[in-house]
Amino acid sequence: MRSAAALPAPHLAPRRGNSGPIVRIAALQKTFGDIEAIRHLSFEVADGEFLGVLGPSGCGKSTLLMMIAGLIGPSAGEIRIKDARVTGPRREVGVVFQSPVLLPWRTVLQNVLFPIELLKLPRPQYRRRAMDLLRMAKIDDFAAVLPRQLSGGMRQRVAICRALVHDPSILLMDEPFSALDAITRDEMAVELQRIWQVNRKTVIFVTHSIREAAFLSDRVVVMGRRPATVIDELAIDLPRPRAIAVTEDETFNRLVRHLRKAIEASHAQ
Amino acid sequence: MRNRIGKRAASIAWPILVTVLLLLAWEISVRMLGIRSIILPPPSAVFEAMAERHDLLLAHLWPSLYLTMLGFGLSVVGGIIVAVLITYSAIIRKGFYPVIVVSQVIPKISIAPLFIVWFGTGTMSSLLLAFLIAFFPMTINAAMGFESVDEDIHRMARTFMGSSWQIFWKIRMPNALPYIFAGMKISITLAIIGVIVSEFVASQEGIGYLIKLAGGLLDTPLMLAAIAWLSISGLALYAIIAGVESWAVYWQPPSEAVGAGGGG
Repeated sequence: MRSAAALPAPHLAPRRGNSGPIVRIAALQKTFGDIEAIRHLSFEVADGEFLGVLGPSGCGKSTLLMMIAGLIGPSAGEIRIKDARVTGPRREVGVVFQSPVLLPWRTVLQNVLFPIELLKLPRPQYRRRAMDLLRMAKIDDFAAVLPRQLSGGMRQRVAICRALVHDPSILLMDEPFSALDAITRDEMAVELQRIWQVNRKTVIFVTHSIREAAFLSDRVVVMGRRPATVIDELAIDLPRPRAIAVTEDETFNRLVRHLRKAIEASHAQ
Repeated sequence: MRNRIGKRAASIAWPILVTVLLLLAWEISVRMLGIRSIILPPPSAVFEAMAERHDLLLAHLWPSLYLTMLGFGLSVVGGIIVAVLITYSAIIRKGFYPVIVVSQVIPKISIAPLFIVWFGTGTMSSLLLAFLIAFFPMTINAAMGFESVDEDIHRMARTFMGSSWQIFWKIRMPNALPYIFAGMKISITLAIIGVIVSEFVASQEGIGYLIKLAGGLLDTPLMLAAIAWLSISGLALYAIIAGVESWAVYWQPPSEAVGAGGGG
């Protein structure tokens, strides 16, 4: 928290109580050959919202995220970010992948600054921002260290800093904690919430963990088995910051049960 | 830290000890069995030849080493260029690459006499044979390095709108470095073989020529002295590459070697 003030100010100021949707997905469809991965998928994401996308493994959630990132194109329908149709990767999007995908020959700080180099942004200015992000993620002591010397959780923190360094307005996260052990995973969820509360990005967080989706999100969109489409939607009205102890409350468990039933219903079909 | 240095020292000390013991066994058995020097001289006689005739040996060693390094250097540059072409051109990857791979079944040493016919008995034949033998593992390894970039790393770079130029220099190139060094370590030894063989076939100078000449004169100590010099130089060249590698590929722990083999 102490580092929040150190971050370059205006664009990081809380952006709540805001305007309309920042991301609009309309009648989206994706087929790979004969396989229909996504069918008639539509939803919207509000500016500053933390949206969880929940679904079983292999349901096409990652495909959806890659489409929002502009890495693959839809077969039909469209995705709009700030009213502009997505046709390729965009500057205002940052992506955190399932694995940290750090470059092993670069130090932590150099890895975080990698997008700045690719986007040809002024390095000295963003160097400070990178250090602030590392401080916020509590890994600033490791700025000069190579990735192989870090633990899995720390690597994923670096990846989150890298996705935030060019100050995107949307953060896409593709099961970012699925490779971590259960304890680290809980820890990272709390950390991510903290980072999000400081930065107030719009987050689309894809996961197959019901608990993780419920804990982190403002709203959860549930996707069914392939071909994926939205089968349920649930607002998570828990006060923030949420501590991991929230997961033992009856309110939380009621939400989890609701989500589980929605997923099970889709299996039964 | 001290433990690591200790381990390192032990890893050097053991092979040295074994070498010394083998030389001792050689020396003792030659003396005890009364084997004639023409057949197998004792190590002491070889060392003597190395010291006494070092002028002659070095005079023939330098041209061979020079050609080896030149052939090796050309194979590194050529191999990397061809690997880049293989990576970026579908026509070359699909058309030429298989041909290059299949052509490896030709024992390149057998081409040496043909090279003599084409390029004469001079240095050109030696250089080209060294290049030809060393070129293949360089190309294969570099191509493998350029292409083995993790799909997720590609995606990551693309989300930040990296251009292919940036992806090549900032991702493919460093990714290929360990592979390139693995290729270089194979290529340098093959380049030596190329030069020596072509000197065997036809040459008036070079350490290969000297080995053949000494054989003809039944001067076995000189022959072995030449082989010893050759081995020492080969080892030194290899060590230089390994040294540059550990500096250039600083992010890789020494145990994790990569790369493919490739015979000559």
